[in-house]
Amino acid sequence: MSRRRAPRRISLSQRRDAPAGGEWRQRTEEQRRGKAEVREVEEEERQEHHGKESVPRGTCQTMCPTRELQDRQLQNCLHRFELLAGTERDRRPRGDPLRAVKEYSRPAAGKDSTNSSDLRPAAVLLKTVCYLIDKVAASPHLRPWTEVYNFVFDRLRGVKQDMIIQRTSGLNCVAILERAVRFLIYASYRLCGEPLRLYDPRINDTHLQENLSWLLDCYATGTEPHPNQEEFQALGLLYNLGSARAAQHIMELPERLRCSPAITLALSINRAFHERNPVRVLRLARRLNFMQSCALHRHLVSCRRDLLLIYSHGFSSRNCRFPLDRLAQLLCLDASLTTRLCQAHGVEVNRDSQLIFSKAAFTEPEQLHCKLYHNIVAEKQRDLSVGDIIHGCT
Amino acid sequence: MAHSTINQYLQQVYEAIDGRDGSFCSELLSFKHPHVANPRLQLASPEEKCQQLLEPPYDEMVAAHLRCTYAVSNHDFVEAYKAFQSHKEENWALPVMFAVTLDLRIFANNAEQQLQKKGKGQPAEMLEKAAEQLMSCFRVCASDNRAGVEDSKKWGMMFLSNQLFKIYFKINKLHLCKPLIRAIDSSNLKNDFSPAQKVTYRYYTGRKAMFDSDFKPAEEFLSYAFHHCHRSSQRNKRMILIYLLPVKMLLGHMPTHQLLRKYDLMQFADVTKGVSEGNLLLLNEALNKHETFFIRCGIFLILEKLKIITYRNLFKKVYLLLRTHQLPLASFLVSLQMMQLQDVDLDEVQCILANLIYMGHIKGYISQQHQKLVVSKQNPFPALSSIS
Repeated sequence: MSRRRAPRRISLSQRRDAPAGGEWRQRTEEQRRGKAEVREVEEEERQEHHGKESVPRGTCQTMCPTRELQDRQLQNCLHRFELLAGTERDRRPRGDPLRAVKEYSRPAAGKDSTNSSDLRPAAVLLKTVCYLIDKVAASPHLRPWTEVYNFVFDRLRGVKQDMIIQRTSGLNCVAILERAVRFLIYASYRLCGEPLRLYDPRINDTHLQENLSWLLDCYATGTEPHPNQEEFQALGLLYNLGSARAAQHIMELPERLRCSPAITLALSINRAFHERNPVRVLRLARRLNFMQSCALHRHLVSCRRDLLLIYSHGFSSRNCRFPLDRLAQLLCLDASLTTRLCQAHGVEVNRDSQLIFSKAAFTEPEQLHCKLYHNIVAEKQRDLSVGDIIHGCT
Repeated sequence: MAHSTINQYLQQVYEAIDGRDGSFCSELLSFKHPHVANPRLQLASPEEKCQQLLEPPYDEMVAAHLRCTYAVSNHDFVEAYKAFQSHKEENWALPVMFAVTLDLRIFANNAEQQLQKKGKGQPAEMLEKAAEQLMSCFRVCASDNRAGVEDSKKWGMMFLSNQLFKIYFKINKLHLCKPLIRAIDSSNLKNDFSPAQKVTYRYYTGRKAMFDSDFKPAEEFLSYAFHHCHRSSQRNKRMILIYLLPVKMLLGHMPTHQLLRKYDLMQFADVTKGVSEGNLLLLNEALNKHETFFIRCGIFLILEKLKIITYRNLFKKVYLLLRTHQLPLASFLVSLQMMQLQDVDLDEVQCILANLIYMGHIKGYISQQHQKLVVSKQNPFPALSSIS
């Protein structure tokens, strides 16, 4: 029973604490989380000890194995987010055991990555993830966020590696993957348009898809109830809008899940996308919450492009005019951005704020700054903090 | 045969190998042959016996087979099938491989279901393992470059890729089909495989193309499969039709009632009727009613694409009723509301019309000022089959 209750308690306490979010509250919350998880992991360990003798089990109780901390301190390889306060300016800054997190390191021949003192058990991994979210990703003091992203991205990758080596499963695994997926989806929106050396959307996408498909596998095999399942099934479909595989996966879910509001909405959007009805897609998109909008965000550019493309054909007549403000409404943009977008696609805007569509004039823009057109997502964030977003309080 | 002793059985295997008699040998290692029901052969540890009579690596292979008859559950007995690799410039053992790999896939399937029922293991674990084994066989076949055409193991490629397709479609990993298709398409034998194999191959490549929304090639492949499928294989023809029908419909060819009746595919009857009459309501009802069937076949999403054609047929009716070339947008809105489409408005009507014009289903343009669709005086709704 305690296994079942544990994660619910986490989400409840988060929700209660979320609006105020004082420092001391967070700390008590972490302690509470910690206790629930320790109980859980003990139980899991007992269960898994039968049969799976060969699977390595971690014993490291800190976010970073002691040996790694020492090594990186010696080699001066600590990230500035991991340094002990006051030693930053030293010739050899010291690492803070409460802030250092195990790095991702590529598997290589001759390297033993199964040493149990270097591996963290599931509960410690979850605590690590919570630390990365609460104290790094959501911190107002650490910046720029591209650096925060790269740090958290790497450390989450390390967490995932530990999970793979230990073949972690169960509720802790789900809780970790859910947060990782939310983080990566949020980053795909927030860092959109950043220079490639700071943020590579392709790499982010690869990791997001891996985490997501592992998470969906967990839902499929797990016998425990997963309260967040609907949310993530819907996010998966929105993120992979138009993909036959993602849609087929959703169609094969039990009807009870498929009929939940989040998935129904995601399916309607997917259907409108398939029918190439961007007006409907954008209209339905307004009903999404912030995280769902982030997931859909990467399709908005092509959606608006589709709209301009089919309108260039459908309204192609020399004598016809289309009012700019009408189109702005359909595109969910203001007049100046609509003008900018139209011009980028070769659609003529005259002095009276009217559009002249022509199928011959339509062009594909060379480079479009997606970030300019973010308002439809941005306005949904309202007062949600990064911590709320990644922990899933909406 | 069904009552022979272990020694008699092994003697037969020995003679088959010695005489390079592939088809007989394959029978002796297949689960379709009656010997598997012989209790005298069902041994828990037949290794020693096999070693006495047979040369390696056949001893391991036969031993694995006998263990399998004993357990009748999934064993990686293809592992022992490495033997195949050592047949330099020969391919007499292909039938053996076919039999063994077929059994492997079927057992993996059963094992999978058993594990799922017990709620154990990762989903698709067994099938993925089987696929790995099949893939290693495929590699052996595909890389047999030195042998002459007659003796080449490349003749095994299509059979193996068909088996792999079956697994990949089951576990919803269609992207894995691509390298197999590429390997076979670039092979100079591709037109000379047996008709049965070619039909299966076209069936799966057709389905794959369909999921990638390449409807023209999908139609070509599935039509090939349908026309070349043996006339007595009604079940297979039906399976091909389940995919061929939606593709044909998307390209504007509607099936007749007789055809649907003949192949017991009446689930499509109302879909067809709804699409050709422009009756969106009927189409939606038909999709809902047979949802489970369509989802199981994996065609629900493709059938939803028929809505675009249904809009076209519905709007054509509006045009025929109004008998003018300047059609008020409001009348299209009314027609959609009649079909109980929820929360549509003129903006969406414009969007749907614009898309139909873009796709070439309607010749004309929309005038926003006058809120009218102006259609061409000549052939404003071109025949579906003439488009794309």
